[in-house]
Formats: sequence, structure tokens, C-alpha cells
Amino acid sequence: MSKEFKGRALWQDLQGALLIALLAVVVGLAVNSQLLWRVLSGQTLNSVTTSVDGSTETILPLPVELAEVRELQDSTTVLIDARSQTAFAEGHLPAARSLPRGEEVAGVGALQAEVPLSTPLIVYCSGYDCSDSFALAEILITAGYQQVRIFEGGFPEWRDAGLPVEGAQP
Amino acid sequence: MTCWRTMLYHGSRCLLGAIFCYAGLVKALDVVAFAGSVANYQVLPYQLNFLVAALLPYVELAAGVLLLLGRQVRPAVLLIAGMNAVFMVALLSVILRGLDIDCGCFRPGGEGHTSAQMALLRDAGIMLLALVTWLGAGRRNG
Repeated sequence: MSKEFKGRALWQDLQGALLIALLAVVVGLAVNSQLLWRVLSGQTLNSVTTSVDGSTETILPLPVELAEVRELQDSTTVLIDARSQTAFAEGHLPAARSLPRGEEVAGVGALQAEVPLSTPLIVYCSGYDCSDSFALAEILITAGYQQVRIFEGGFPEWRDAGLPVEGAQP
Repeated sequence: MTCWRTMLYHGSRCLLGAIFCYAGLVKALDVVAFAGSVANYQVLPYQLNFLVAALLPYVELAAGVLLLLGRQVRPAVLLIAGMNAVFMVALLSVILRGLDIDCGCFRPGGEGHTSAQMALLRDAGIMLLALVTWLGAGRRNG
């Protein structure tokens, strides 16, 4: 096989690979168009969508960045700490409420008694490797809270940014 | 092509195809969880994590199905090798930054935890499979 033929064959394979990827991307966009629209427009991630037969629900908590958490600190927004009570006691975001993942049955009930469902909530836990904030946010949305957002950077990002922390710090 | 080479080619092609079909399928079924896994890498802005999570599984699935069917083998292998190279760079960056995250390679948001080191080793194996399949497909065509 000549070098020229090999080069042409490789070029054709590359074109084929790109075509496959393109077709797959089109399928992916079509299948996930509603999800992507909500995410990329950043509007109604925590809205509840119902399928045609009215049976399926998709609940997606809205993300929030560190800068916005800082801005919302003095507003009516309530911060929810999804970490354990021990971790909460060692240090947490100012004015945050402890609602450990795993104790949400009693915790959500107590929260509902004190915080109206229309109140914006921001849930956080131990950073990007922690999924408790996302899981708790879904539970809170299911419980009726209409504006639930997750601060993915969580306590580590807040602390590492040198921002004030409440609780017993070492 | 000798008998053992033919068996090696078909074996690696089918194994590679099955791996990527499975990986694509489990991610496509839970895009939100996979987006969380992508976000764990702390490389992309939040919204782009969802974009990657929504599209990547279908590219994996397409390449895997083509390999299993024995159609467009060389383009599919190229695609898989390209994706795998990107995964390896991402995993390497995770190791260099000292992040302790689950790779999210197969079961996003699942119970299991595969370290970046283990995932990198596995990806090296996948790269080897891709190379064997590529060479086998080349011989068949040539």
C-alpha cells in the first residue's frame, strides 16, 4: 500500500469519525433538547416537567456560584447545610441552617414549619465531590420549595475564599 | 490474516464495542447524574457540564454499536481513541490537582468509586484494544 493511499485512507477514516460524531451529537441534542434549553438558558432548572401521559417528573435544582451566594447572603435566601451535624458544628456558612442528609424526614418538616415554601433556598455540602446537596435539593423541591439552588463549591470553596465562617474553627 | 489474528481482531472489536455501548447507555439514561460526574472534574463551566453529559453518551453509543456491527470500524475506533485520549488527559489533570473524585466512567452517581489512577490504567487498556482493533481492521482492508 503506497503512502499516498494510506494517507487518503486515514483522511477518509477521519471524515467518517467526524460524521459519526456529528450524527451522534444531533441525536443527543434532539433527545436532551428540553434539558439543555433549561440548563443553558439558566432559567427554570427547578421547574417540574410532566411527560405526555402526565406520569413522569424531572426535578433539577438550579446551580449557584460563590459570588452569587455572597450577594444573596443578606437577602431572604436561606442557606441549608446538608453535611453532618458534626461538620456543621465545626464550621459553616454564616446564618446557615443544618439539615443533614439522612435526617431530612424530620428536618424538612421542621424547615417547612419555619420557612415559607416561597423562600429561596441554597443547599451546600462538602464541595464538588459531595452529592448530598443535590439529593437534598431534590427532596426540598419535592417538599414544595419553589426556588432551590445548589452551591456546588460548598463549604470548602467558601472557606478557601477566605470568607467568614461561623462555628468552632480550629 | 491468520486465524489467531482474525480472532484477536474480532475479540478486541467486540469487547471495545461492548464497553462503549455499556458506558454510553448508562450515562444516557441518567444525564443529570453524569453532569454531576463531569462537574467533579472542575474543568468546565457548570452549564457546559450538562452539554457534555447530554452529547458524549450518544457519541460513545454510536461508536460502540458500529464496532459491534462491524461497520465503519476504523472511523469508530478513531473516534473512541480520540475520546479516550481526552479522558486520559482529564484524569491526569485530576491526579495532578490531587482531587479525590469518582471517575464517573460507567455509573455516574453510582455507589462505586473508581479512582483516577485506576481509571487511567483502564483507559490505557482501552487504548491498547483500540490499537489492536485499528491494526486488525487495517489488515482486513489492506
